[in-house]
Amino acid sequence: MLKLLGAVLVLFAGTMIGYLQAARFAERPRQIRYLLHALQRLETEIGYGQTPLPDALHRVSLAIPPPLAGMFAAIAAELRAGTGVTVRESWENTFSSGWPSTAMRGGEREALLRLGGTLGGSGREDQLKHVRLAMLQLQTEEAAAREDQQRYEKLCRSLGVLGAALVVILMM
Amino acid sequence: MPPVLFEWLPYQLRSLLSGLPDAVLETLEEIRIRENRPLEIGYGGRFAFVRGDGSVADDYRAGYKPSREDCKALLEKVTDHSLYAVEEELRRGYVTVAGGHRIGLAGRTVLEGGAVRHLRDVTSFNVRIARARPGCAARLLPALLDKAARTVRHTLIVSPPQQGKTTLLRDLARAVSSGEWNDPSARSWGGRKVGIVDERSEIAACERGVPTFDLGPRTDVLDACPKAEGMMMLVRSMSPEVVVVDEIGRPEDADALREALHAGVRVLATAHASDLSDVFNRPVLALLAREGVFGAYVLLSRAGGRVEHRVYGALEAEEARRRGLRQWAAAPRDAPAPAPAPAASRSAGGALETAIKARPLPPIRSPDRLEGEGEGHA
Repeated sequence: MLKLLGAVLVLFAGTMIGYLQAARFAERPRQIRYLLHALQRLETEIGYGQTPLPDALHRVSLAIPPPLAGMFAAIAAELRAGTGVTVRESWENTFSSGWPSTAMRGGEREALLRLGGTLGGSGREDQLKHVRLAMLQLQTEEAAAREDQQRYEKLCRSLGVLGAALVVILMM
Repeated sequence: MPPVLFEWLPYQLRSLLSGLPDAVLETLEEIRIRENRPLEIGYGGRFAFVRGDGSVADDYRAGYKPSREDCKALLEKVTDHSLYAVEEELRRGYVTVAGGHRIGLAGRTVLEGGAVRHLRDVTSFNVRIARARPGCAARLLPALLDKAARTVRHTLIVSPPQQGKTTLLRDLARAVSSGEWNDPSARSWGGRKVGIVDERSEIAACERGVPTFDLGPRTDVLDACPKAEGMMMLVRSMSPEVVVVDEIGRPEDADALREALHAGVRVLATAHASDLSDVFNRPVLALLAREGVFGAYVLLSRAGGRVEHRVYGALEAEEARRRGLRQWAAAPRDAPAPAPAPAASRSAGGALETAIKARPLPPIRSPDRLEGEGEGHA
């Protein structure tokens, strides 16, 4: 009886691990998409509205879901607070510390951090160029992420179940 | 002056400057920040350097030298982290921060087709502290009244930079708008509708469109609008009775001024010039003056910490021009304050009075003995 309970638990845990891993694969392209929406919004704010950066970031944060929204809002608040922090520092700190809570990886992070180094520091045309460049990089990452999703999402799920089943069989 | 004044400065500079003695803070006029060169301030008509511990020194070698990081952070802060939003201002060499303080910038220009397209490597900042002096126009206003029309005359306020033109203009707008004519015969007039074209956001210091300075109850402000276009927009749409503009001098300004005049609107304007003959030497102003556009000219000058004004009618101005009068050429304004200023300026006033004795309007001047409202405009 106890053995059976243990087997069920192992099977359940293995399945869950597999599903979580699969969910990360499914989440990544979705979050990159949100990030692209955010940058598109930022592009409009800079290009047409000429909105000051703290306001623009705040508005961006209202338009996208967490956890990205929280990070944009944090940067906007930090710039408004008047602590003398530069955009680059604030951007780097926030995204570096908040990155593990997202499903995204190194490539997206690099593109975003590079954008942070130039944001607010040059004329409009130049800003738009940098934003578009970052968007282009993110789009490539998104395509790769989708490919990964197709390839690994189901695999992860079945691997979880099968791995658990293997353990159960070995235990029996 | 409240210490919140410095909230647009980055942390390092703010902590340094808010440590200045109160007497200095109260009369602060300029802060000059230059990369790797001593931090300079102008206050009460003189200049000094700021040491690393927030004290004031006359010797520049003791001054605190702002680093590259300080300057970068300052530029970011005063542009609200958004250079792209102030491109037009950068091209003209200044930005205005909350509170109406204008910050002049110098650095390396980027040209395009021979015209300045952008300013980069900004390493020199000149912060001009804007300050409201309610009541500073009270002495002047009675001399500018047009009693037949029950309003003010077309007036040009003239002085070299940094003598208090904008401060005076701001208070004139406030007084006209709230009806404080300070003249017994004008007691029943009430205020006039005032329209202000605030190209550099200095007069009203608007934040999100709302003036932060008191400009009276009947005032509309067109913020950050080019003067010529703004005057026309106001006349067409806001039906002002008095239009206020700062620093005219371009040909299109003259056209807009004439237009406003013929629309029955009174104009209060300022211009850079050291005296009346300078006015007649500047092409656009000379043309306007010769056409008799302005009904009164006000000359500002500064002796010690005191601002003095002198009013000329159009005829007197013409007369003065013919005589080549150069009474009011200004000394460098932060030269050591001349101690016996009263005697000197009185004799100058005497000479002028004889020169224009027959005219109906006597020159008026803030009395030397009176303290308070008449002195020390920034």
